[in-house]
Amino acid sequence: MKSFLSRRWTLSLLAAGLALALVLAWQLARIALRPVAVYTGWLLLALVLILTFFNARKKLPFLPLLSASTWMQAHIYLGWLGCFVFVLHTGARIPDGGLEGLLAAAFAGVAVSGALGLWLSRWLPPRLVRSGESLVYERIPVLRHRLAEEVKELVRRAETEAQSSTLPDLYQRVLHAYFLRVPPPLSPLTGDDHEFHRVKLELESSRRYLNAAEQELAGQLATLLEAKRNLDTQLAGQRLLKLWLFVHIPLTYGLLVLIAAHVWLVLHYSHRL
Amino acid sequence: MAKTSSRPTIQAGSQAPYTQATKQAGPERWDKPFDPDMKEVDVDLMLSHPIFRTTAPEKFPPSIPLRGILRNDARLHQYMPGEIIVRRGDYGHSAFVIMDGAVKVLHKEPPAELLGRRPQVRPSLWGSFKRWWNRPHFAEQVTRGGPPPGLQVGRGGEARIFLQDVPGVLGADRTITLREGELFGEIAALGRTPRTATVVAEGEALLLEIRWQGLREIRKYSPAWKEQIDGRYRERSLKRHLAETPLMWNLSDETLQLIADATRFETYGEFDWHTTYQRLREAGPRELMENEPLIAREGDYPNGLLLVRSGFARVSSRYNHGERTERYLGKGQVFSLHEIVTGWRGQHVALRHSLRALGYVDVLFIPTAVIEEHILPTLPREQLAELTLPAQPAGEGKGADELLEFMVAQRFINGRATMLIDMDRCTRCDDCVRACAATHDNNPRFIRQGPEAGGVMVAGACMHCIDPVCMIGCPTGAIYRENIEGLVDIDADTCIGCSICANSCPYGTIQMVALHDEDGLPVVTEETGAPIRRATKCDLCIDEPGGPACVNACPHDALLRADMREGDKLAAWLRR
Repeated sequence: MKSFLSRRWTLSLLAAGLALALVLAWQLARIALRPVAVYTGWLLLALVLILTFFNARKKLPFLPLLSASTWMQAHIYLGWLGCFVFVLHTGARIPDGGLEGLLAAAFAGVAVSGALGLWLSRWLPPRLVRSGESLVYERIPVLRHRLAEEVKELVRRAETEAQSSTLPDLYQRVLHAYFLRVPPPLSPLTGDDHEFHRVKLELESSRRYLNAAEQELAGQLATLLEAKRNLDTQLAGQRLLKLWLFVHIPLTYGLLVLIAAHVWLVLHYSHRL
Repeated sequence: MAKTSSRPTIQAGSQAPYTQATKQAGPERWDKPFDPDMKEVDVDLMLSHPIFRTTAPEKFPPSIPLRGILRNDARLHQYMPGEIIVRRGDYGHSAFVIMDGAVKVLHKEPPAELLGRRPQVRPSLWGSFKRWWNRPHFAEQVTRGGPPPGLQVGRGGEARIFLQDVPGVLGADRTITLREGELFGEIAALGRTPRTATVVAEGEALLLEIRWQGLREIRKYSPAWKEQIDGRYRERSLKRHLAETPLMWNLSDETLQLIADATRFETYGEFDWHTTYQRLREAGPRELMENEPLIAREGDYPNGLLLVRSGFARVSSRYNHGERTERYLGKGQVFSLHEIVTGWRGQHVALRHSLRALGYVDVLFIPTAVIEEHILPTLPREQLAELTLPAQPAGEGKGADELLEFMVAQRFINGRATMLIDMDRCTRCDDCVRACAATHDNNPRFIRQGPEAGGVMVAGACMHCIDPVCMIGCPTGAIYRENIEGLVDIDADTCIGCSICANSCPYGTIQMVALHDEDGLPVVTEETGAPIRRATKCDLCIDEPGGPACVNACPHDALLRADMREGDKLAAWLRR
């Protein structure tokens, strides 16, 4: 079985070779006074369509159209190649027209969101594994509610069994809000453990006021705090892994519409239509 | 009989659980008789039959009398002409004695349709496209025809399957007739192997069906039965088993026969191990291991070679205050060979490892003297050198392999197509689940959740087990294997929704789902109005030309359907 590293090297070299061949062809065509912008434009359109078909392939799982993993690799490296062809096509100029500006911005948006998504999909999963138990994204709200209920029950026990208000006070002050809290969307990128550490410190510092029975309940609360931390990490990480696609895919459809307009205009004004 | 129980009031936080716990009678050997309607008069009828006259009831211990075995582990069954008793390839947990009448053993297997089975499917692109185009709007919609010809289901859910075209199939040259007093099906029942032939009732036939527990006891305490069962096994299968072992490939027929004569059969663990497994699953690995029957102990003299005939065994060694799993053995693998070879070459060593039964294991024991006399002299010098152990055991200080311990403890080693997900690569996109639903009636046949170890998740998908517990006891044979070691599938048209397979599956990968009509309304029975359900599970996309949709749909190379017998492939996948 080929290692990921050797596959990355092989495909990177292949993409680099293709890019080099394209530059050579582009130079030769320019010297021969051929319409290089038209050639690179059609090539870019073909690449964008192939890249877009990856999503269609997912919708047709019954067709033996190579595995999604093969498509993904093609998507990544043809995507990089597409960026290169885009530079050749535009001549690395800053677009000055309204439509061109929009088109370039859409292309850049798709490319950047794609690259970001690729990075996220390699960077986040190991962090989710290290965080703790894997959770099903759709079940996380239920689990959060269950955790909050368990905490409430523990605090109620502390109040009735130990006749003490230390843990109920802590609950009112910090625990209640913490266990209902939903982490912000970009928290995996910004680091969101400070809230967990703050609450944990508060719990630890309140231990000096607890008797033996309450200490046991505080120990259980600490376990639930860990569970909440994992739940937040799983939620925020999995949400981000889904969210980037909500940027990448709509932008791609927008880009396709703009490309269609661009092609129509080019053909229209070059008297080919 | 239902157990009575009493539940006292328990004080919350009580420190005296044993004095205040719910009390009930402890579980006993015959809590669940094979046939609750069995009467004493039926037992008398059985005991008066010539086959039991030589059984010597006095040799049975008072706690397990022969009468008790027949009362609780056997049932009488009247078969109608042409009724199928067992089918080739099905898994069973019982053997049959012909009390009256005759049965035909089919020498040549008739086409699947004649046996009430689904014909083998050939995957095609057109078929895939048609299924996708005609996919139902609602999950598990009833779109197929009724049950196959030959299947009759009684009101109590009792199923009978009749052979189609009886005169054509039961031609004299194609069958062997078994008559009153003969025993059949015992090798599959005791060896946990698929039935090797289809057996059909010739006319009306009264058969005594003995489940494996009873058969095991009768074999144990009745020398006549033991001689008969072992003799038949020796005659039909043992030499073939031995000849298939690489160690004995070079041996002549006569030598193989000598070895076969000296071989002993041993069985460890429970046949229906899944019930204990389900109970102990939540227990710690130490408790799990302590519950595994010990076959050979580290430090003992290697008095024989153990050849695994079926099931699995754990090879472990002492590691500080616990035991470390070194590897596991499956069908055809041997234990203690290295020690025997080393001893034969002059340096006597004790067993370096212990061997424990994982669930149910059937082993062949070949005495060391026989190995030394007949097998070792035929092995090339290089092979003997490879099999010789060093003076000091290797592997000290290497620690334990977390993933191996996990896979063995959880019995995932049973899988031929275990769904493993590399959680370091999985982005939780659920493309695998969607692809599965799109190719299976809008209802995914697995759950992307399961236990994890070392960053690998074993998802809740059918593993198409080497030892398919789910196939034991299916009343209609709806759950079947495509071929002897092939994938396990459920024929939706034959499934009567009895849940036996779902309850038996140790891994909980078979789901009972309610059927819907074209308007999305539940389909219910005419008699009781209860929803009609059927068993569903992963079929490894048997109908799809591209193979399993889940694997093909994973864009991140995170998913593998692993055959746990192929350790090298698995290791390479983990090392990527």
